[in-house]
This record gives sequence, C-alpha cells and structure tokens, in this order.
Amino acid sequence: MELLCLGLNHKTAPVEVRERFAVGQAKLGDAASELRSLTGVAEVVVVSTCNRTEYYLAANAAGEVLERLEIHLVEKTELHGIATPHFYRMEKFAAARHLCRVVSGLDSMMLGETEIFGQVKQSYHAAHEAGTTAGVLNRLFQRAFGIGKKVRTDTAIQEGSTSVGNVAVDLAEKIFGHLKDSEVMILGAGEMSRITAQSLVSRGARSIFVSNRSYDRAEELAAEMGGCAVRFDDWQRVLQRVDIVISSTGSPHAIVRRADVEQVRRARKFRPLFFIDIAVPRDIDPAVGEIEEVYLYDIDTLEQLATAAREKRLKQIEECERIIDAELAKLNLPGT
Amino acid sequence: MDRWLLITATLLAAIGGAWGMISVHRGRRSRLTTLWMLLALLCQLAFLGMRGEARAACPLADRGEILVFLSWSLTLFYLLVGPAYRISLLGVFTAPVVVVFQTIALLPGVLDVPPVKLTGGNPMHETHAATSVLAYGALALAAVAGVMFLVLDRQLKEQHLKSGLFRNLPPVRELLVSLERLLWLGGGLLTIGILAGFLMPHDTAALGHLLAALAVWTGYAVLLGVKTVRGLTGRRLSLLTVALFVLSLGVFAFV
Repeated sequence: MELLCLGLNHKTAPVEVRERFAVGQAKLGDAASELRSLTGVAEVVVVSTCNRTEYYLAANAAGEVLERLEIHLVEKTELHGIATPHFYRMEKFAAARHLCRVVSGLDSMMLGETEIFGQVKQSYHAAHEAGTTAGVLNRLFQRAFGIGKKVRTDTAIQEGSTSVGNVAVDLAEKIFGHLKDSEVMILGAGEMSRITAQSLVSRGARSIFVSNRSYDRAEELAAEMGGCAVRFDDWQRVLQRVDIVISSTGSPHAIVRRADVEQVRRARKFRPLFFIDIAVPRDIDPAVGEIEEVYLYDIDTLEQLATAAREKRLKQIEECERIIDAELAKLNLPGT
Repeated sequence: MDRWLLITATLLAAIGGAWGMISVHRGRRSRLTTLWMLLALLCQLAFLGMRGEARAACPLADRGEILVFLSWSLTLFYLLVGPAYRISLLGVFTAPVVVVFQTIALLPGVLDVPPVKLTGGNPMHETHAATSVLAYGALALAAVAGVMFLVLDRQLKEQHLKSGLFRNLPPVRELLVSLERLLWLGGGLLTIGILAGFLMPHDTAALGHLLAALAVWTGYAVLLGVKTVRGLTGRRLSLLTVALFVLSLGVFAFV
C-alpha cells in the first residue's frame, strides 16, 4: 500500500480552474466515498479550501491509480486538456511531507496562517466519518496534526500579523482587550476601511458608525456591517462615544485635527482612543497622536509592522522544514 | 528560625521575578511566577505566625514586621488579582518590590531580635495596624499596575511593539480597570484603618502619624474623586498612583 497525493493550489492553478475542483465542506465525505470506489483505491481524504483541492490516497499500483484519478477528475470537471498541467503529484514520503507542510501553513498563500489546520482537520473528520480512511491515512493525518502543532509551538511561523488589517486589530486588542465593549467609527467608506472594520467586527467590536461624504455610501456600508450611518458633518459628535476610529477618506487635507479631539476629551473622561489612519494623504493630523490618551497609527507604520512579521515568518521556513523532516524520520509511517 | 523563613521567602520572590523576566524576555508567559510567589507567601505567613506567637499580638511592632506584613499583603493581592484578571505579568513587577521590602527588613536592627512579648494590647490598635497594612498591599499593587501601564503606554506611543515584554503585557483597558479597583479596595481598607486609629487610645506622640495618615487618605480620596467625577488619562492616573504610594510610605516614619 502506497501513499499518494494529487492536487492543485494557488501556486499551480488560477482561480477559474481551482473553483471547478472546489468541494463544499458538507460534501467532503461524499467526495471521498466517490473516489474510494475507483479501482485500486483503498483510502481517501479530500481536502478543499479556497486556495487548494488535494486528494490523499492509500492505494496499490500508485502510477495507475493516479492516472485513473486524474481522468476521473478531468471528466467530472469537464476541463479536458486544461486541468492536467495544473496538477501536482506526490508519492510516499513526499506526499506525507507535503501534508505536514500544508497543515503547518508553510504552503499557504499567507505563510503560517492558522485556518488551514482546522480546514484539514475538518476534511479528515469528514472522510473518517464516511469510512474512507483506515490504517495508512488515519496514522498519517493524526501524525501530521501533531507535527503541525509542534511546528507552530516551537517556531515563530505564526507570530505577528501579516496584513495591515490584522495589525490594526491586534493593536486594538492590545489597547482595549476584548473588543466586545468597543465601538468603532469609520471615516470614509473605502475598501481598506471596510476590510479593517470587518476584522474588528469579526473579533467582537460592539457597534460600528460609518461616516462618509456621500451619505448613501455610508448607509450602504453601515447596512453591510450592521452599523449606523452618520452624516459627515456630524462625526465629531460620535467621537465622544467611540473607542476606535478608522479613517480613509481620500481627502487632500487632514480631516481630524487636534482641536476636534481636545473638544471631546472631557466628555470622554479621557478614555483611551485609537486612531487608525489608512489614508494617503493622511486624514489625521499627527498632532492628534501627541494627546495623552490617543494612540495614532498611520498606514506606513501598520505596513512596516506587517512586513516585519512576514519577513520573520519567511526566516522560519527552514527551521519548520527541519522539524517536519526530523519528526517524519522518527515515525516510519506506512505507505511512505 | 523566623529569619531563615524570611530569607527563604525573599529568595523565592527573587526566583519568581527572575524567572518571569527571563520568560518575558523570550516572549513567553511566566506562569511559574505565580507558583514561586505562592511559596513565598507561605513562608511569609509562617514568619508572621512565629512573630505573632512570640509577640502574643499582631506582628506589627517594629518596622521590619511592618515591611514583611506589607510584602505579604502585596503578594496576597497579587495572587488574588493576577489570575482573576489574567495578569500573570503582574508577578514579574510585584516580585522586585517584595524583594526590596523584605531585604530592608532583613538589614541588621530593622527586626527586633528576639521579638518582645507585647502587653496591654488593644483590639482597635490591632485592627488599625492590620487593615492599614493590608490597604498598603492593595495600594502597592495599584502602583505596580500603574508602572505596567506606563511601560505599555510608552511602547504603544513610541511604536516599539516587538519586545517580549510588549507581547506579554495585558491590554491598556484591563490594566486601568484593575488599577482603579485596587485603589478603591486600598482606599476602603485605609478608611477602616484610620477610623480604628481614631478609636484606639493614643497620646500626643502619635499626632505626626495621625496627620500623615490623614494626608495620605485625603490624597487617595481626591485621586479617586477626580477619576470618578472628571476622569483622568491613564498616564496621569498611573503617575499619581505611583507617586502617592511612594509618598505614603512616609507614614511609617512616624510609627
């Protein structure tokens, strides 16, 4: 019995090809059962995320089974002559090593991301419940999860935030702790504001106020976020109650001046206030950051922090791969 | 024997602090600090128990005992507040204060050797002494939380966000909430201590102590009043808490 892997991901296939192979979470078990019925296939796990679809198999006559699987998938997706160049094929130890790299986030678009660990786990459970796993894949996946955890614990591969939005959210949590007691105001309903605000909401931010020169656009974004629209000449009033301000207006000059914040300090009882200025030119006068209870971060600072985290993660790859190889060498997994 | 217990308690606190600092430097949480501090607390308790037995009264008869009682109170509040607010790092900041207080207590002449048995004790006097020192423990911990806030505030303001210390410090808002609660707790205990001080029999020699205690109480009352009614920035609240605690130690000069 040999271990095999056939797959495509964001590095090998464009989205229009990947989406044809995508399998919804609810159908992962069925997909595994379907492939299990192919001749020569003993065990199957189908992993499908937005960036990859991979098929892990335990089978005899590896070459023939891979060919059969590829033909089956091409026929099913009707991508004759298109899909094949996008596939990667791995056997034995290389397949086991690849799974460990995937689980550890080393093969992800955002290096070291943690979501993939849970997604692979869900895929494995779906296959396990569908009865398409046995001795080879059970042992492989369980060991891969252990190795993935070790990689994440023993290295800095998931340390720091690698996107501007996540850096901003981490800083907000450093200032306010749980965001469920925090209120957010967005100045300017641009895409970056929306993404950052969504990150804050996903971590529990209580309410969102959206203020934009075009009130219609503010209402639209507020509705999308489940928040309230505020007229642009009224944002100073809302500043009294919010904890976090995200600004990205596209204005050629500063929107928030020191005097605006000074005016509401007493009413706010000098509570901490976090300004995230992601506009170029900047929306918030740097003098605002000199106010004692104000923490002001602009796009350059946030980007520098994200870049530093990405570089730190890149430096960890070698160490992560060393751990994976050392752990796999100890295991002597069946099928490898 | 009691001296050895105090030396052990001091060493345990020093180990806890050093362990915590090394962990923080490496970017990890210092969970074991809590254990070291718990062991230090047990040694402090044993020390105070022996001294209390020898005195046949609350062991607050000399400056050494006051410092150890204060260290015990500080450690106790840390163990109560730290895990409750998940501020394990508080131990890293508390341990050095405990080590300093207990080292001073260990200096020759600070502790009475042997402790003399006290006669003619008064329950109000003991209530005054015990609650006042407990209050100082809470207020000392508030000052420690204030120092932690000042460190975090500076790092956030200057955008130095990569250190292990930054990663391990609790959020600004949690620090300020715990600081304020400790101020209220310390202020409440201090009020009881001062009321008991008025009710106990005292002579004119105690006037300086009484006035100093009243000045400290007024200082904390004004600080809490201003914070509640008008509001204060975290930096000012922390600076004032630290300054008030340092000044309030002057009360012991009149003991």
